[in-house]
Formats: sequence, C-alpha cells, structure tokens
Amino acid sequence: MKGNLRDFSPTQILNLVSLAHKSGTLGVEHKEGRAMLSFKDGKLIFASVGDAEGSLASILARDGRISKDQASALAKRAEQTGDKQLGLLLIQKGYVTQQDIVVSIKKHALSAVNTFATWKEGPFAFDTARMPSADRITVPLDLENIIVQIARVQKRDEELEDEIPSLDIFLKFIERPQVKLKELQLSKDEWRVLNYIKPENTIRMIAKSLNMSDKQIRRVIGSLREAGLVELMQIHKQRETLSVEEKDKKRALVGRLINHFQSISAD
Amino acid sequence: MATQTVKMVVTGPFNSGKTQFVGSISEIDVVSTERKISSEAEKVKDQTTVAMDFGRITVDDDLILYLFGTPGQRRFDFMWEILAEGMLGFVVIVDSSRPETFREAKSILETFRAYAPTPYVVAANKQDVPDAWALDDLRIALRLEDGVKLLPCIAKEKESVKNVLLELLYGILEEMDSDEK
Repeated sequence: MKGNLRDFSPTQILNLVSLAHKSGTLGVEHKEGRAMLSFKDGKLIFASVGDAEGSLASILARDGRISKDQASALAKRAEQTGDKQLGLLLIQKGYVTQQDIVVSIKKHALSAVNTFATWKEGPFAFDTARMPSADRITVPLDLENIIVQIARVQKRDEELEDEIPSLDIFLKFIERPQVKLKELQLSKDEWRVLNYIKPENTIRMIAKSLNMSDKQIRRVIGSLREAGLVELMQIHKQRETLSVEEKDKKRALVGRLINHFQSISAD
Repeated sequence: MATQTVKMVVTGPFNSGKTQFVGSISEIDVVSTERKISSEAEKVKDQTTVAMDFGRITVDDDLILYLFGTPGQRRFDFMWEILAEGMLGFVVIVDSSRPETFREAKSILETFRAYAPTPYVVAANKQDVPDAWALDDLRIALRLEDGVKLLPCIAKEKESVKNVLLELLYGILEEMDSDEK
C-alpha cells in the first residue's frame, strides 16, 4: 500500500489499518521529518516522528520521568542492552514503575500520531514485513478513539461539502461487531447524532432536531464516517417491475450472453 | 429475425483503463472520439476520450452486445446520463495503483447508481503493476458495501476483461433471483 498524503489523509490511512487489522510499519516522508508508525492487528504499537525519537530513554526524558543527562547516559547503555533490559533496570533501581513506562510510551505514541495527523502532503508506504525490533517496548493502542479524536480537531469543511453534497441523505450504521460503542470516547455531539440515526431520519432532520448548523452536522457526520461507524445511504431510483414474461426473456438473454462469454478463449 | 441489442457501460476516472478494457474484448476496433490532451496536468497519455468509446460483441445472428465507455474527465459528465439510459449493467474501472483517483471513482459509482438501479461491478485494474493496492485495502478505501463485487482486472488481457463481464452477468441473474424471492 503506497500513496501520498495529499490524496489519502492520515485519518483515512489509520482507519484502513484499523478496519483491515493490518500489521506492519507505515513510513511517511515529510518536511518536518520522517514518521514510522508500527501496527499489530490494527492497533498502534510504536511510533516515532521527526526528532521525537522512540527510544525508551528519550521517551522518559520528554515525559519528565528522568533528566536529559540521565537519558543520554541510559541511551548509550541501551545501545548495548536494548530498551526492554533498560526498562527492567530502571524499574529495579526504583527510577520508574512499569506503569510509568506504559503511560509515557502511550503519551509519546499519541503525540506522534497527532503530529502525523496534521500533515497534508508526503509519500507513504506500508511495509507488512517491517516491525519494531525485538528489544523495543511496544504498547498496543486502539485506533478507533485516536481516529475520532484526530478527525474531531481537523477542519475539513470544504472536503465535507464535497463528500456530503446534500443533507437530504439518510445514514446507516456500519456493521463492526468487534467495536463496542459504549467503550468509544465520543463527544457529546457525536453521541447525540448517533442516537438520532434511524432509517427515517435524514441528516437535515437530525441537524434540525439537534439545533445544529449545516457545518456542524457535516463535521460530526464526517468524524463518524472517518471512524468507520456510519455511512451515507444514497437514494437510488427503484428498479422497474417486470412482468413474468419480461423476466423470462431477460433471463434467457443474460443466459445467452453468459454462454457466449464462457466460450470465448483468450487470444 | 430482428436483431436485439443490449448495452453495458464501462465507466471510471480519467486514465483508469476504460478504453483499453473495451478494446480488449470488442470484435471491432474501438470507435473512439478522441482529441489530443491540452492540459499539462493530464499529460499522462497523449489522447483522451471526449465523447465515448464504442465496442461491439456479436453473440448470435440476432443478439449483439454493445459496450459504451464513458469519457473520464468531469467536464464530459453530461454524457453519462445519456449513456446510462437502458443499460443492462455497468462496470466501474479503478486504477489500483493511483489512490488519488479512488475518491473520484467512488463519486462516479454513486452518480451512476443514481442514474439507473442496475447491477454493477467494480474492476480493480492494473493489478499487474507493483504499486497496485490489494483488493482488501481497495474495498475499504472505496467504502464498498459487502455485497458489491470488486474484481481483479488487467484491462489489456482479454481473459481478464471477459471474467469481469461474466461476473456482471452473474450478478444480473442473482439480482433477478433475489427479487423473485
């Protein structure tokens, strides 16, 4: 999977990784630096962006758990022993607890993803064969909440006008049994909209009921779509009703076409 | 006996392989109304279809299938509704190696669905190029519903084009059977 962020937004990539339960590393080039985001079964497990390098020592220093001098000294040690051993040592010596390490790594990963999410351009490539080295400490993070959060802050009014050209469209939930709605961290507006999604309610009707402007409702629907929770139901013309005779004729005709194509051999 | 004609439409974004698709299966040279490309932004090829492509497949003495390829550039979209009139079904061709065209492909698909409630398939073309996206990823990127057929395609190969059209025909029969149920 390769492309450029100007054609495929960071949230769309993260959503695809989450929905497809992908494992591997996403590499992205940007003027601010290079991003490496690693995933296992659709969850983020490791991230580094630009200068914010992903070694344990640097992560703990940025989070204020250890000083910069300590981080420099420990980084040298980690080159020999690896992050996992370093982590054990720090815990044994009482500098940090295991929980401290997990919290710091999570914070670092979220910060890296938030930075990545602001990028509008840059080539990306997903390498399914590349994973963090065995000595790295990885902490799995669910992408759904991250995606909803990122999508929430991004202003995409122009794109949303294009994606949702009319508010006289119905919405439907996307079947994702592994996602527990109750555990998702949605905003009050997102929950309110979700509660109004029914086959008989258009987006315009939902907006009117909730006293939301066109822009507001588009932003909320846009976030929910990006997170893969809802989709637009387009209104299509109804199929014409054929008589029994007409159906038989059509069936026979299609049958003849199928027979003809099945008999075609490649030149 | 009077000759019966049926029509299928081949559509998709600019440079997705529509003309190639029709050309691979048509028994006649594809009749294309083409002009040299003037826009620098679209200079990925020398010519482009400005009205439609037209291909023919003679099934029998009394049955002919016409394939109509739509022009891919948006400024010719006024042709789409005309071409969609009376079609048996349609194929949406997507260039698997150009993700910048996926949004456009989805938009074209929705436009044709609105024109006519006929069966359709999506052909993931250029599956032979190294940068082609896998079908699973493409399905998610295009936000295709589970029931929509997404088929691998190499438009320059007759066998591949034949398989796409067969799947569309099977889909037409399946829809007729499910309507009866």
